[in-house]
Amino acid sequence: MNDLTPEKKRSGLAKWSRRGFIGAGVLAGGGLLIGIGVRSGNPIGALAPKVASGEGEQLVNSWVKIDTDNVITAIVPHCEMGQGAHSVLAQMLADELDADWSQVRVQQAPTDGSYIVTDTARAFVAPFTMNAADWIEPTWDGLFTQIGLMADALITGGSSSIRTTGQYQMRVAGAAARKMLVGAAADEWGVPASEIETKDSTLIHAASGKSATYAEFATAAADQPMDQTPTLKTADQYTLIGKSKARKDIPGKVNGTAKFGIDAAPEGVEFSYSATVRPPVPGTSVASMDASRAKDMAGVLQILNMGDFVAVVADSYWQAQQALNRVDVTWTKSESPIKTTADQYAAYTSAMDEAGADGGEEAATKGNFGEAFAGAATTLEAEYKVPYLAHAPMEPINCTAMVADGKCDVWTSTQVPLRVRTELNAALGIDKENITVHHPYLGGSFGRRLEGVYTVMAARIAQATGYPIKAIWSREEDTQKALYRPAEISRFKAGLDESGTLVAYDNIFTQRNDPAEASVPGIYSIPNTRVRTAEAPLHLPFAAWRSVDHSQHGFFIESFIDEAAHAAGADPYEYRLAMLKDAPRQSAVLKKVAEISDWGAPLAEGRAKGIAIVESFGSIVAQVIEVDMSSGKPKLENVWAVCDAGYVVNPDGFKNQIEGGIVFGLTAAMYGELDLVDGGVKQSNFHDYKMLRMDETPGIMVEIINSGDVPIGGAGEPGLPPAAPALANAIFAATGKRLRELPIAKQFA
Amino acid sequence: MRNTAFLAAGLLTLALAACGSSEPAPVVEQIVIRAPGEPAAAPDAPAEAAGVIDKVAFGEEAFAQCSGCHNADPGGPHQAGPNLHGVFGQPAGSKEGYPYSDALASSDITWDFASLDRFLSNPAAYVEGTSMVAGAVRDAEERAAIAAYLASTSEGS
Repeated sequence: MNDLTPEKKRSGLAKWSRRGFIGAGVLAGGGLLIGIGVRSGNPIGALAPKVASGEGEQLVNSWVKIDTDNVITAIVPHCEMGQGAHSVLAQMLADELDADWSQVRVQQAPTDGSYIVTDTARAFVAPFTMNAADWIEPTWDGLFTQIGLMADALITGGSSSIRTTGQYQMRVAGAAARKMLVGAAADEWGVPASEIETKDSTLIHAASGKSATYAEFATAAADQPMDQTPTLKTADQYTLIGKSKARKDIPGKVNGTAKFGIDAAPEGVEFSYSATVRPPVPGTSVASMDASRAKDMAGVLQILNMGDFVAVVADSYWQAQQALNRVDVTWTKSESPIKTTADQYAAYTSAMDEAGADGGEEAATKGNFGEAFAGAATTLEAEYKVPYLAHAPMEPINCTAMVADGKCDVWTSTQVPLRVRTELNAALGIDKENITVHHPYLGGSFGRRLEGVYTVMAARIAQATGYPIKAIWSREEDTQKALYRPAEISRFKAGLDESGTLVAYDNIFTQRNDPAEASVPGIYSIPNTRVRTAEAPLHLPFAAWRSVDHSQHGFFIESFIDEAAHAAGADPYEYRLAMLKDAPRQSAVLKKVAEISDWGAPLAEGRAKGIAIVESFGSIVAQVIEVDMSSGKPKLENVWAVCDAGYVVNPDGFKNQIEGGIVFGLTAAMYGELDLVDGGVKQSNFHDYKMLRMDETPGIMVEIINSGDVPIGGAGEPGLPPAAPALANAIFAATGKRLRELPIAKQFA
Repeated sequence: MRNTAFLAAGLLTLALAACGSSEPAPVVEQIVIRAPGEPAAAPDAPAEAAGVIDKVAFGEEAFAQCSGCHNADPGGPHQAGPNLHGVFGQPAGSKEGYPYSDALASSDITWDFASLDRFLSNPAAYVEGTSMVAGAVRDAEERAAIAAYLASTSEGS
């Protein structure tokens, strides 16, 4: 690994050709159903037994359904957690299909057997001519992780829905369906297919004056030959892609009819509730339980010591939680030497000390750091630090579970319904075919619901007690007993030449997860770069947290680059721009953000701006943040963001996501912090794990650059990484105080 | 390389999870008060059966629904709503250090059973402009009990 440019790494994946299939069938009662997915022969096939163990089973990801009433339904595999993917995926399908947008519906793909076993479709297998999706770039490690996750998941994560499923499945399904409809009409009318135009779910043959709705040919279309690699539209032909079509999930969310996981009320199921408590320290379990103070409380049905947690089942959630509070539980002792925040940081520090000036595992190397550093005119060193973070999604963690007659049904908010199914299979001893995962909307997630632990806990309680139950975690449980964005320490050394140019760059840290390139300052042309990792224990379990490793390294790298600019006596914007001379897309983004933020213009006393640029999940995002320090405390005034995601499918939705990423990033930058006390998490709820409030939120302006002609990038995560460094750099510009640690607010308390 | 090792471990776990034990984990201890399908036992409430209800105790229990915003502990802090220790018998909006709405502060209400009943049944209807926008208590008996509980905190204070 000696090349740092993301583009180069992408090309290494060319041999991963994508294999897929599309198949069509006739719906009961008429109408056309087309499924598209991936199966053996593509890289995911190697891991297929985990998803499709039976003969003839295939992982079908997307469907399009054309009913006899001319309603077109996009059946989408991704969950809707507020990011708007459902609607935008439908938009991509509808564009290729030339569908009447007002008659397009979106439906969540189910995870039941009929969805996985594609016996309704006549299967075809053919290699896709399209390249493997770029989101699984850019290193083998990153690729393997993503495939490993995806193999067992209709996963929604990695800012990937639009750029993978949208680009490679929804559009293909739409284009294939359109071609079949045209073919059926051409046969019936006896005219060449090339003369038939399509618009608003209608087939038109201008010369003969004939026209028909899609519905009229939907059934006949199923007998048409299917083009496995239909030609997709080019940007100039788009009618819906690139437009801010209103999201189809919003009306229900405004009028309250939208159903989230916690709203689950399956018909005919009378369920009880459970509250649970897990051990406060990872790796420990229940030593003993004394329920004598709880068992006579109102509404209590059962109290269980499950070994790894304690549960109370009651008539209502409130009763369950109140009784649980009165169950006295003792826990086994933890073997972990890490008890406090200081212990965790000490473990990192000693690992890096041990690695020394040149040790550790090399993650990326270019040129010769040692020589360049020795010959540098100016050198600088810095150590940065960020704490553990929780996801804190608004909708509490929940799962409604029913286990009866050898079958298991769960209703839950999840990003990984198939992984949930696999975990339930392992935990309950029930065959996958008899497990159904129903997954309604998620009330926020940010990576929190990429695991299945809470669904397994719910199902085990249901299995043990015989009660269908709705399991709800208290906010305290979710804050203290979940999975976490790791705390991290990152050490830098840099050498500048006589002119101030950054010629030597060394970085060492301890937690390298995903994406693997997050720690590599690959967008900059720095001739001698070395990125290293030192192995150190992580006390709390790891979770992907919005933007994953970029959430830490965005802050580390872009703050340190700012330090280098300062050491060089250069303007932070100009300094970065000079290092982007070989990166035209990145430098265009940076120039644009300087332009719209009026970078360099004089500001009122106490105010200053900071800048940062991070490329993540295929999108380049630069931000300028203006802060007012005149009160002695940071007041966030304005954020300007410029994004190049290649081609933005729904500009309004994309901007929403970038804005959300910025607010999420600023929340973490200002307040986000979990401390370890006695081996457990100290913070418990929103009073001590604060969110950025409306009155603290700066004005945010987002601009989009459609540079086109590149694989499109993600939206959900890329807005986050530049926020913290842009803010810290602004505070430095205003005060001269370099912030090498997050969160920020308490440093000005 | 370290990262590869990490991933291999991760995938191994996945594989184990996928093909691992198909026997459900045993339950260590299960206390069954009522099994599914069993009728609820007759209410075992001697005090109630004897026609004696400890109204204050019931009120303290019912006050749990208010505890998202209020406490009634002596010297307890103001939360989203003010501390309510000893407010019974006092003019509305008179607790030190809580930013009452103008509407409540300027009202001439004194908290007694009647005013608490009206206020708790629908705060905004009784005091238009109150910042207590949630927390109405629908059940009249609960309102009376909560008032009794609050009154008990005023005794001797």
